[in-house]
Amino acid sequence: MLNHFQAMLVFAFCVSLAFAFLSKRRLGERIRYTVWAFLAFLLVAIGIGWLMFPFSH
Amino acid sequence: MTETKPAKATQAKDEAPPSTVRGLAAALCAWIVPGLGHAMLRRWPKALAYFIAVGVLAVVGLTMRGDVLPASSQDAFDRLGFVADLGTGGFYFFSKTLEPAGPDDSKAAGDYGTRIFAAAGVLNFLIILEAYEIGRRNRA
Repeated sequence: MLNHFQAMLVFAFCVSLAFAFLSKRRLGERIRYTVWAFLAFLLVAIGIGWLMFPFSH
Repeated sequence: MTETKPAKATQAKDEAPPSTVRGLAAALCAWIVPGLGHAMLRRWPKALAYFIAVGVLAVVGLTMRGDVLPASSQDAFDRLGFVADLGTGGFYFFSKTLEPAGPDDSKAAGDYGTRIFAAAGVLNFLIILEAYEIGRRNRA
């Protein structure tokens, strides 16, 4: 079974891929959008994780 | 002036007229199997990408032992969750086959699985809408 971080990676990649194919027409644009959205998902998730860290104790 | 009329007539002949039936058929196929609606319309790259995206999300959600909400849910949020889950189409109906152990909400992974499976369903609703639009307008 996947751990939580791996599940987040899979989620971010799948959603980024679907959004790229929904919103872009050319292959190059789709690849760029997938990478950009995937990194944005990752950055936001890790950022929110750190913001919540003080409240975990 | 006289040359534009035949040109317009030829252009109109080449383009298929908007068809609601074709759009609905594509939407139904896209709901039953994510990506099938686009495959029916010969949008192969989109069909493959959508099948992978929704399929992987749905299977990951189920293998994390996420909850698949039934139609008889009492709570309003659970009913919304049921609608979201239903968006996965075939994955919803074969969820017991794909994960025979069933849901386990006692761990965080199960809760995440519930959300991931619902996200797959909502994502497929967007894909269904696009399949309907492409089928109806016959656009690229």
